[in-house]
Amino acid sequence: MTDSAQELLEQSRQGTLALIDVRTTQAHTNGHVPGSVSAPFSRDGWGPAVADWLRSRSVTRVGILADNPVVGRAAGEALQAEQVTVHAVFDRGPSSWQEAGLPIVSVPSLTADELARQLDTRTVIDVREPYELRSGIVPGALTIPMGQLVRRTSELDRTARYAVICATGNRSQSAASYLADQGFQVENVRGGMALWLAGRHPVDYPKS
Amino acid sequence: MIWQPFRDPVLGCSSFLLGDEVTGVGLVVDALGSVGPDAYILAAQEAGLAIGFVVETHVHADHASAAAGLADALGLPVTLSHKAEASFPMNPVQDGAEIALGSLVVTVWETPGHTPDSVSLIVRDKTRSDDPWLVMTGDSLFVGDVGRPDLVDAEPELIRRAAQDQYESVHRLMTLPDFTELHPAHYGSSPCGGLFMSKKPESTIGYERRTNRMLAIDDPDEFAALQLNLLKPPPPDAARLRKLNLGDPADDAPVTAKRTAAVTDTLSWNSRGVLEDD
Repeated sequence: MTDSAQELLEQSRQGTLALIDVRTTQAHTNGHVPGSVSAPFSRDGWGPAVADWLRSRSVTRVGILADNPVVGRAAGEALQAEQVTVHAVFDRGPSSWQEAGLPIVSVPSLTADELARQLDTRTVIDVREPYELRSGIVPGALTIPMGQLVRRTSELDRTARYAVICATGNRSQSAASYLADQGFQVENVRGGMALWLAGRHPVDYPKS
Repeated sequence: MIWQPFRDPVLGCSSFLLGDEVTGVGLVVDALGSVGPDAYILAAQEAGLAIGFVVETHVHADHASAAAGLADALGLPVTLSHKAEASFPMNPVQDGAEIALGSLVVTVWETPGHTPDSVSLIVRDKTRSDDPWLVMTGDSLFVGDVGRPDLVDAEPELIRRAAQDQYESVHRLMTLPDFTELHPAHYGSSPCGGLFMSKKPESTIGYERRTNRMLAIDDPDEFAALQLNLLKPPPPDAARLRKLNLGDPADDAPVTAKRTAAVTDTLSWNSRGVLEDD
Protein backbone atom coordinates (compact mmCIF):
# COMPACT_ATOMS: atom_id res chain seq x y z
CA MET A 1 0.00 0.00 0.00
CA THR A 2 2.88 2.34 0.85
CA ASP A 3 4.31 2.08 -2.67
CA SER A 4 1.03 3.01 -4.29
CA ALA A 5 0.58 5.93 -1.86
CA GLN A 6 4.07 7.23 -2.72
CA GLU A 7 3.38 6.76 -6.41
CA LEU A 8 0.09 8.63 -6.07
CA LEU A 9 1.72 11.55 -4.26
CA GLU A 10 4.48 11.71 -6.88
CA GLN A 11 1.97 11.76 -9.75
CA SER A 12 -0.04 14.40 -7.93
CA ARG A 13 3.09 16.56 -7.60
CA GLN A 14 3.86 16.13 -11.30
CA GLY A 15 0.30 17.04 -12.20
CA THR A 16 -0.50 13.78 -14.01
CA LEU A 17 -3.10 12.83 -11.42
CA ALA A 18 -5.37 14.89 -9.16
CA LEU A 19 -6.09 13.95 -5.57
CA ILE A 20 -9.74 14.85 -5.00
CA ASP A 21 -10.85 15.20 -1.37
CA VAL A 22 -14.61 14.55 -1.59
CA ARG A 23 -15.34 15.09 2.14
CA THR A 24 -17.08 18.13 3.59
CA THR A 25 -15.17 21.43 3.61
CA GLN A 26 -15.03 21.20 7.39
CA ALA A 27 -13.41 17.75 7.31
CA HIS A 28 -10.87 18.94 4.71
CA THR A 29 -9.88 21.95 6.77
CA ASN A 30 -9.48 19.83 9.90
CA GLY A 31 -6.77 17.81 8.18
CA HIS A 32 -5.97 16.83 4.61
CA VAL A 33 -3.38 15.33 2.29
CA PRO A 34 -1.04 18.09 1.03
CA GLY A 35 -1.78 18.90 -2.60
CA SER A 36 -5.29 17.43 -2.50
CA VAL A 37 -8.13 19.52 -3.88
CA SER A 38 -11.28 19.99 -1.82
CA ALA A 39 -14.41 19.18 -3.87
CA PRO A 40 -17.18 18.07 -1.46
CA PHE A 41 -19.31 15.43 -3.18
CA SER A 42 -22.98 16.07 -3.83
CA ARG A 43 -25.47 14.09 -5.91
CA ASP A 44 -26.39 17.16 -7.95
CA GLY A 45 -24.01 18.08 -10.81
CA TRP A 46 -20.80 17.25 -8.99
CA GLY A 47 -19.37 14.79 -11.58
CA PRO A 48 -19.61 17.14 -14.60
CA ALA A 49 -18.27 20.11 -12.60
CA VAL A 50 -15.21 18.21 -11.34
CA ALA A 51 -14.65 16.63 -14.78
CA ASP A 52 -14.69 20.14 -16.36
CA TRP A 53 -12.14 21.34 -13.84
CA LEU A 54 -9.93 18.30 -14.52
CA ARG A 55 -10.17 18.85 -18.30
CA SER A 56 -9.19 22.50 -17.84
CA ARG A 57 -5.97 21.23 -16.22
CA SER A 58 -5.56 18.38 -18.76
CA VAL A 59 -5.79 15.75 -16.02
CA THR A 60 -7.64 12.52 -16.77
CA ARG A 61 -6.77 10.44 -13.71
CA VAL A 62 -7.76 10.92 -10.09
CA GLY A 63 -7.29 9.50 -6.62
CA ILE A 64 -10.37 9.89 -4.40
CA LEU A 65 -10.07 10.67 -0.69
CA ALA A 66 -13.28 9.95 1.25
CA ASP A 67 -14.18 9.20 4.84
CA ASN A 68 -16.67 6.43 4.11
CA PRO A 69 -17.25 3.90 1.30
CA VAL A 70 -20.75 5.20 0.44
CA VAL A 71 -19.50 8.65 -0.55
CA GLY A 72 -16.27 7.24 -2.01
CA ARG A 73 -18.21 4.90 -4.29
CA ALA A 74 -20.76 7.54 -5.34
CA ALA A 75 -17.98 10.02 -6.20
CA GLY A 76 -16.05 7.37 -8.16
CA GLU A 77 -19.12 6.44 -10.19
CA ALA A 78 -19.91 10.10 -10.90
CA LEU A 79 -16.41 10.67 -12.29
CA GLN A 80 -16.31 7.41 -14.27
CA ALA A 81 -19.57 8.49 -15.92
CA GLU A 82 -17.60 11.52 -17.16
CA GLN A 83 -14.81 9.32 -18.60
CA VAL A 84 -12.39 10.16 -15.78
CA THR A 85 -10.11 7.31 -14.71
CA VAL A 86 -10.38 6.61 -10.99
CA HIS A 87 -6.93 5.26 -10.16
CA ALA A 88 -7.45 4.77 -6.41
CA VAL A 89 -10.09 5.32 -3.75
CA PHE A 90 -9.17 5.83 -0.10
CA ASP A 91 -12.49 5.67 1.69
CA ARG A 92 -11.88 5.25 5.41
CA GLY A 93 -10.84 8.77 6.43
CA PRO A 94 -7.52 10.37 7.46
CA SER A 95 -6.38 7.69 9.93
CA SER A 96 -6.62 5.02 7.25
CA TRP A 97 -4.86 7.29 4.75
CA GLN A 98 -1.98 7.65 7.17
CA GLU A 99 -1.82 3.88 7.53
CA ALA A 100 -1.60 3.71 3.73
CA GLY A 101 1.37 6.09 3.87
CA LEU A 102 -0.26 9.40 2.91
CA PRO A 103 0.81 12.46 4.92
CA ILE A 104 -1.81 14.68 6.61
CA VAL A 105 -1.39 18.37 7.30
CA SER A 106 -3.40 20.32 9.83
CA VAL A 107 -3.02 23.70 11.50
CA PRO A 108 -3.26 23.94 15.29
CA SER A 109 -6.52 25.34 16.54
CA LEU A 110 -8.12 26.64 19.71
CA THR A 111 -11.71 27.20 20.80
CA ALA A 112 -13.28 30.63 21.26
CA ASP A 113 -13.31 30.06 25.03
CA GLU A 114 -9.58 29.21 25.02
CA LEU A 115 -8.89 32.31 22.94
CA ALA A 116 -10.81 34.46 25.43
CA ARG A 117 -8.59 33.20 28.27
CA GLN A 118 -5.37 33.72 26.29
CA LEU A 119 -6.17 36.90 24.42
CA ASP A 120 -3.21 38.80 25.98
CA THR A 121 -0.69 36.42 24.38
CA ARG A 122 -2.16 36.45 20.88
CA THR A 123 -3.06 38.86 18.10
CA VAL A 124 -6.36 38.09 16.43
CA ILE A 125 -6.73 38.42 12.65
CA ASP A 126 -10.38 38.59 11.52
CA VAL A 127 -10.59 37.59 7.84
CA ARG A 128 -14.31 38.28 7.33
CA GLU A 129 -15.67 40.77 4.79
CA PRO A 130 -16.25 44.36 6.06
CA TYR A 131 -20.06 43.99 6.19
CA GLU A 132 -19.76 40.94 8.43
CA LEU A 133 -17.83 42.92 11.06
CA ARG A 134 -21.03 44.76 12.04
CA SER A 135 -21.95 41.77 14.22
CA GLY A 136 -18.91 42.68 16.34
CA ILE A 137 -15.20 41.81 16.41
CA VAL A 138 -12.88 40.42 19.07
CA PRO A 139 -11.53 43.52 20.90
CA GLY A 140 -8.23 44.60 19.33
CA ALA A 141 -8.50 42.27 16.31
CA LEU A 142 -6.78 43.18 13.04
CA THR A 143 -9.31 43.06 10.22
CA ILE A 144 -7.96 41.80 6.90
CA PRO A 145 -10.56 40.40 4.48
CA MET A 146 -9.60 37.00 3.09
CA GLY A 147 -9.07 38.39 -0.42
CA GLN A 148 -6.48 40.93 0.78
CA LEU A 149 -4.48 38.58 2.99
CA VAL A 150 -1.85 37.57 0.41
CA ARG A 151 -0.83 41.16 -0.38
CA ARG A 152 -1.02 42.34 3.22
CA THR A 153 1.24 39.79 4.93
CA SER A 154 3.95 42.52 4.99
CA GLU A 155 1.87 44.17 7.74
CA LEU A 156 2.29 41.12 9.96
CA ASP A 157 5.00 40.47 12.55
CA ARG A 158 6.99 37.24 12.25
CA THR A 159 7.63 37.14 15.99
CA ALA A 160 3.94 37.51 16.95
CA ARG A 161 1.51 34.70 17.70
CA TYR A 162 -1.64 34.96 15.59
CA ALA A 163 -5.11 33.50 16.00
CA VAL A 164 -7.18 33.68 12.80
CA ILE A 165 -10.95 34.01 13.07
CA CYS A 166 -13.91 34.24 10.66
CA ALA A 167 -17.66 33.59 10.98
CA THR A 168 -17.58 29.85 11.68
CA GLY A 169 -13.96 28.72 11.34
CA ASN A 170 -13.84 27.57 7.72
CA ARG A 171 -12.29 30.53 5.92
CA SER A 172 -9.98 31.17 8.85
CA GLN A 173 -8.69 27.60 8.51
CA SER A 174 -7.66 28.25 4.89
CA ALA A 175 -6.15 31.60 5.87
CA ALA A 176 -4.29 30.00 8.78
CA SER A 177 -2.93 27.27 6.47
CA TYR A 178 -1.64 29.93 4.09
CA LEU A 179 -0.01 31.97 6.87
CA ALA A 180 1.58 28.83 8.34
CA ASP A 181 3.05 28.06 4.90
CA GLN A 182 4.48 31.60 4.92
CA GLY A 183 6.25 30.90 8.19
CA PHE A 184 3.99 32.73 10.63
CA GLN A 185 2.99 31.29 14.02
CA VAL A 186 -0.76 30.79 13.65
CA GLU A 187 -3.73 28.98 15.10
CA ASN A 188 -7.27 28.70 13.79
CA VAL A 189 -10.19 29.67 16.06
CA ARG A 190 -12.64 26.75 15.88
CA GLY A 191 -16.27 27.80 15.47
CA GLY A 192 -15.21 31.41 14.79
CA MET A 193 -17.31 34.39 15.82
CA ALA A 194 -20.39 32.11 16.10
CA LEU A 195 -18.90 30.48 19.20
CA TRP A 196 -17.21 33.70 20.43
CA LEU A 197 -20.64 35.36 20.54
CA ALA A 198 -22.32 32.21 21.89
CA GLY A 199 -19.76 32.22 24.73
CA ARG A 200 -20.88 35.78 25.60
CA HIS A 201 -17.32 37.10 25.15
CA PRO A 202 -16.89 40.86 24.72
CA VAL A 203 -16.95 42.49 21.27
CA ASP A 204 -16.06 45.85 19.77
CA TYR A 205 -18.13 47.45 17.03
CA PRO A 206 -15.88 48.93 14.33
CA LYS A 207 -16.93 52.32 12.90
CA SER A 208 -17.30 52.15 9.13
CA MET B 1 -28.46 24.26 13.35
CA ILE B 2 -28.97 21.93 10.41
CA TRP B 3 -32.28 20.03 10.62
CA GLN B 4 -33.53 17.61 8.00
CA PRO B 5 -36.44 15.19 8.57
CA PHE B 6 -36.75 11.96 6.56
CA ARG B 7 -40.21 10.42 6.57
CA ASP B 8 -41.98 7.28 5.40
CA PRO B 9 -45.54 8.45 4.69
CA VAL B 10 -46.84 4.91 4.22
CA LEU B 11 -45.76 3.66 7.64
CA GLY B 12 -46.12 7.12 9.25
CA CYS B 13 -42.49 7.18 10.46
CA SER B 14 -40.19 10.18 10.99
CA SER B 15 -36.41 10.17 11.32
CA PHE B 16 -34.03 13.10 11.60
CA LEU B 17 -30.60 14.30 10.52
CA LEU B 18 -29.42 17.22 12.62
CA GLY B 19 -26.10 18.84 13.23
CA ASP B 20 -23.98 21.82 14.02
CA GLU B 21 -22.81 23.72 10.95
CA VAL B 22 -20.06 25.34 13.02
CA THR B 23 -18.17 22.14 13.76
CA GLY B 24 -19.69 20.04 10.97
CA VAL B 25 -20.73 17.21 13.29
CA GLY B 26 -24.14 15.57 12.90
CA LEU B 27 -26.44 12.97 14.40
CA VAL B 28 -29.06 10.69 12.86
CA VAL B 29 -32.11 9.72 14.93
CA ASP B 30 -34.30 6.65 14.20
CA ALA B 31 -32.83 5.86 10.76
CA LEU B 32 -35.49 4.09 8.69
CA GLY B 33 -34.94 0.84 6.81
CA SER B 34 -37.16 2.10 4.00
CA VAL B 35 -34.90 5.15 3.54
CA GLY B 36 -31.68 3.13 3.86
CA PRO B 37 -28.22 3.98 5.26
CA ASP B 38 -26.80 5.47 2.04
CA ALA B 39 -29.46 8.19 1.83
CA TYR B 40 -28.53 9.49 5.31
CA ILE B 41 -24.80 9.37 4.55
CA LEU B 42 -25.18 11.27 1.26
CA ALA B 43 -27.58 13.85 2.74
CA ALA B 44 -25.17 14.50 5.63
CA GLN B 45 -22.28 14.91 3.19
CA GLU B 46 -24.32 17.43 1.17
CA ALA B 47 -25.26 19.34 4.33
CA GLY B 48 -21.57 19.55 5.26
CA LEU B 49 -21.94 17.19 8.22
CA ALA B 50 -19.92 14.20 9.33
CA ILE B 51 -22.27 11.83 11.17
CA GLY B 52 -20.80 11.41 14.65
CA PHE B 53 -23.71 9.59 16.30
CA VAL B 54 -26.41 7.15 15.19
CA VAL B 55 -29.19 7.23 17.81
CA GLU B 56 -32.36 5.20 18.34
CA THR B 57 -35.12 6.58 20.59
CA HIS B 58 -36.08 2.95 21.31
CA VAL B 59 -36.09 -0.52 19.75
CA HIS B 60 -38.85 -0.20 17.16
CA ALA B 61 -41.62 -2.77 16.87
CA ASP B 62 -43.40 -1.52 13.75
CA HIS B 63 -40.71 -1.13 11.08
CA ALA B 64 -37.16 -2.19 10.21
CA SER B 65 -34.50 0.21 11.47
CA ALA B 66 -31.45 1.25 9.43
CA ALA B 67 -29.50 2.27 12.55
CA ALA B 68 -27.27 -0.80 12.80
CA GLY B 69 -26.50 -0.74 9.06
CA LEU B 70 -25.80 3.00 9.10
CA ALA B 71 -23.60 2.77 12.20
CA ASP B 72 -21.69 -0.16 10.69
CA ALA B 73 -21.06 1.75 7.44
CA LEU B 74 -19.62 4.64 9.47
CA GLY B 75 -17.68 2.53 11.98
CA LEU B 76 -19.81 3.83 14.89
CA PRO B 77 -21.75 2.12 17.69
CA VAL B 78 -25.52 2.70 17.94
CA THR B 79 -26.42 5.11 20.74
CA LEU B 80 -29.35 3.50 22.55
CA SER B 81 -30.85 3.25 26.05
CA HIS B 82 -28.78 1.14 28.45
CA LYS B 83 -31.97 -0.90 28.94
CA ALA B 84 -31.81 -2.32 25.40
CA GLU B 85 -29.84 -5.52 24.86
CA ALA B 86 -28.64 -5.34 21.29
CA SER B 87 -26.20 -7.72 19.63
CA PHE B 88 -24.52 -4.94 17.58
CA PRO B 89 -21.94 -2.48 19.04
CA MET B 90 -23.79 -0.10 21.34
CA ASN B 91 -23.12 3.21 23.07
CA PRO B 92 -25.51 2.82 26.03
CA VAL B 93 -26.97 6.05 27.48
CA GLN B 94 -28.75 6.78 30.74
CA ASP B 95 -31.02 9.56 31.93
CA GLY B 96 -29.24 12.92 31.84
CA ALA B 97 -26.55 11.87 29.35
CA GLU B 98 -25.41 14.68 27.07
CA ILE B 99 -24.28 14.27 23.48
CA ALA B 100 -22.18 17.30 22.48
CA LEU B 101 -22.12 18.28 18.82
CA GLY B 102 -20.13 21.52 18.89
CA SER B 103 -22.61 24.25 19.76
CA LEU B 104 -25.53 21.79 19.91
CA VAL B 105 -26.20 19.86 23.10
CA VAL B 106 -28.53 16.84 23.02
CA THR B 107 -29.79 15.75 26.45
CA VAL B 108 -31.18 12.26 26.97
CA TRP B 109 -34.25 11.71 29.14
CA GLU B 110 -35.43 8.18 29.77
CA THR B 111 -39.15 8.20 28.95
CA PRO B 112 -40.32 4.57 29.32
CA GLY B 113 -43.89 3.48 28.61
CA HIS B 114 -44.11 2.54 24.94
CA THR B 115 -41.04 0.38 25.59
CA PRO B 116 -38.78 0.21 28.68
CA ASP B 117 -35.89 1.41 26.48
CA SER B 118 -37.61 4.59 25.23
CA VAL B 119 -35.70 7.87 25.45
CA SER B 120 -36.47 11.45 24.42
CA LEU B 121 -33.78 13.77 23.07
CA ILE B 122 -33.82 17.45 24.00
CA VAL B 123 -31.84 19.75 21.70
CA ARG B 124 -30.31 23.11 22.65
CA ASP B 125 -28.44 25.36 20.23
CA LYS B 126 -25.96 27.29 22.39
CA THR B 127 -25.37 29.86 19.66
CA ARG B 128 -29.01 30.91 20.14
CA SER B 129 -29.91 30.19 23.75
CA ASP B 130 -29.55 27.81 26.67
CA ASP B 131 -33.29 27.05 26.38
CA PRO B 132 -34.44 23.83 24.69
CA TRP B 133 -35.34 24.42 21.04
CA LEU B 134 -36.86 21.05 20.24
CA VAL B 135 -37.45 17.59 21.61
CA MET B 136 -37.54 14.31 19.71
CA THR B 137 -39.89 12.12 21.74
CA GLY B 138 -39.73 8.84 19.82
CA ASP B 139 -42.93 6.95 20.73
CA SER B 140 -43.50 8.66 24.10
CA LEU B 141 -45.47 11.80 23.25
CA PHE B 142 -47.15 12.08 19.84
CA VAL B 143 -49.02 14.93 18.18
CA GLY B 144 -52.49 14.53 19.74
CA ASP B 145 -51.69 11.20 21.37
CA VAL B 146 -49.17 9.06 23.28
CA GLY B 147 -47.31 5.85 22.38
CA ARG B 148 -49.10 2.54 22.98
CA PRO B 149 -47.86 0.46 25.94
CA ASP B 150 -48.63 -3.09 24.75
CA LEU B 151 -46.02 -4.03 22.13
CA VAL B 152 -43.31 -5.45 24.42
CA ASP B 153 -45.16 -7.65 26.94
CA ALA B 154 -48.36 -9.63 26.50
CA GLU B 155 -49.10 -9.82 30.26
CA PRO B 156 -52.06 -7.48 31.09
CA GLU B 157 -50.56 -6.35 34.42
CA LEU B 158 -47.23 -5.43 32.73
CA ILE B 159 -49.09 -3.55 30.01
CA ARG B 160 -51.03 -1.58 32.62
CA ARG B 161 -47.78 -0.74 34.41
CA ALA B 162 -46.20 0.36 31.11
CA ALA B 163 -49.21 2.65 30.53
CA GLN B 164 -48.63 4.20 33.97
CA ASP B 165 -44.93 4.69 33.11
CA GLN B 166 -46.07 6.43 29.95
CA TYR B 167 -48.22 8.76 32.10
CA GLU B 168 -45.15 9.76 34.14
CA SER B 169 -42.99 10.13 31.02
CA VAL B 170 -45.35 12.38 29.05
CA HIS B 171 -45.97 14.57 32.11
CA ARG B 172 -42.21 14.89 32.58
CA LEU B 173 -41.99 16.05 28.95
CA MET B 174 -44.62 18.67 29.84
CA THR B 175 -42.07 20.32 32.15
CA LEU B 176 -40.32 21.62 29.00
CA PRO B 177 -41.11 25.21 27.96
CA ASP B 178 -44.22 25.75 25.80
CA PHE B 179 -42.21 26.94 22.80
CA THR B 180 -40.22 23.68 22.56
CA GLU B 181 -40.86 22.02 19.19
CA LEU B 182 -42.16 18.46 19.40
CA HIS B 183 -40.85 15.92 16.86
CA PRO B 184 -42.16 12.39 17.49
CA ALA B 185 -41.12 9.25 15.59
CA HIS B 186 -44.63 8.69 14.19
CA TYR B 187 -47.63 10.48 12.76
CA GLY B 188 -50.78 9.75 10.78
CA SER B 189 -52.08 6.22 10.83
CA SER B 190 -48.97 4.63 12.37
CA PRO B 191 -50.04 1.71 14.56
CA CYS B 192 -47.68 2.86 17.37
CA GLY B 193 -50.13 5.46 18.67
CA GLY B 194 -53.82 5.52 19.46
CA LEU B 195 -56.85 6.87 17.66
CA PHE B 196 -56.13 10.53 18.45
CA MET B 197 -52.78 10.69 16.63
CA SER B 198 -52.61 13.61 14.19
CA LYS B 199 -51.55 13.35 10.57
CA LYS B 200 -49.36 16.41 11.20
CA PRO B 201 -45.82 15.20 11.94
CA GLU B 202 -44.77 17.92 14.42
CA SER B 203 -46.20 20.25 17.08
CA THR B 204 -45.02 22.18 20.16
CA ILE B 205 -45.07 21.28 23.84
CA GLY B 206 -47.40 24.26 24.47
CA TYR B 207 -49.90 23.26 21.79
CA GLU B 208 -50.03 19.70 23.14
CA ARG B 209 -50.44 21.03 26.69
CA ARG B 210 -53.58 22.84 25.52
CA THR B 211 -55.01 20.27 23.15
CA ASN B 212 -53.73 16.71 23.70
CA ARG B 213 -56.66 14.73 25.18
CA MET B 214 -54.36 12.22 26.88
CA LEU B 215 -52.56 15.03 28.76
CA ALA B 216 -55.84 16.42 30.09
CA ILE B 217 -56.18 13.31 32.29
CA ASP B 218 -54.59 13.82 35.71
CA ASP B 219 -54.98 10.31 37.09
CA PRO B 220 -52.52 7.55 36.03
CA ASP B 221 -55.13 4.76 36.32
CA GLU B 222 -57.68 6.64 34.24
CA PHE B 223 -54.93 7.44 31.71
CA ALA B 224 -53.96 3.74 31.47
CA ALA B 225 -57.60 2.65 31.16
CA LEU B 226 -58.34 5.10 28.34
CA GLN B 227 -55.13 4.19 26.51
CA LEU B 228 -55.95 0.48 26.61
CA ASN B 229 -59.52 1.13 25.54
CA LEU B 230 -58.41 3.03 22.43
CA LEU B 231 -55.77 0.63 21.08
CA LYS B 232 -55.53 0.08 17.35
CA PRO B 233 -54.73 -3.39 16.00
CA PRO B 234 -51.02 -3.95 16.77
CA PRO B 235 -48.42 -3.71 13.98
CA PRO B 236 -47.97 -7.14 12.35
CA ASP B 237 -45.10 -9.14 13.80
CA ALA B 238 -44.12 -6.60 16.47
CA ALA B 239 -42.04 -9.09 18.48
CA ARG B 240 -40.14 -10.29 15.42
CA LEU B 241 -39.39 -6.70 14.33
CA ARG B 242 -38.07 -5.82 17.78
CA LYS B 243 -35.76 -8.86 17.61
CA LEU B 244 -34.64 -7.89 14.12
CA ASN B 245 -33.95 -4.30 15.27
CA LEU B 246 -31.86 -5.62 18.17
CA GLY B 247 -29.59 -7.23 15.60
CA ASP B 248 -30.89 -10.79 15.96
CA PRO B 249 -29.89 -12.41 12.67
CA ALA B 250 -32.04 -15.53 13.18
CA ASP B 251 -34.89 -14.25 11.08
CA ASP B 252 -33.91 -12.07 8.16
CA ALA B 253 -36.99 -12.26 5.93
CA PRO B 254 -36.96 -9.27 3.59
CA VAL B 255 -38.15 -5.99 5.06
CA THR B 256 -40.27 -5.33 1.98
CA ALA B 257 -42.52 -8.20 2.99
CA LYS B 258 -43.12 -6.50 6.35
CA ARG B 259 -43.83 -3.25 4.64
CA THR B 260 -46.42 -4.78 2.36
CA ALA B 261 -48.01 -6.57 5.28
CA ALA B 262 -48.27 -3.34 7.26
CA VAL B 263 -49.84 -1.49 4.36
CA THR B 264 -52.35 -4.25 3.67
CA ASP B 265 -53.39 -4.29 7.29
CA THR B 266 -53.80 -0.53 7.49
CA LEU B 267 -56.00 -0.61 4.42
CA SER B 268 -58.12 -3.42 5.77
CA TRP B 269 -58.71 -1.55 9.06
CA ASN B 270 -59.68 1.48 7.05
CA SER B 271 -62.13 -0.55 5.01
CA ARG B 272 -63.73 -1.69 8.26
CA GLY B 273 -63.97 1.91 9.36
CA VAL B 274 -61.82 1.37 12.44
CA LEU B 275 -59.54 4.33 11.77
CA GLU B 276 -62.17 6.70 10.51
CA ASP B 277 -62.37 8.64 13.71
CA ASP B 278 -62.38 12.10 12.21
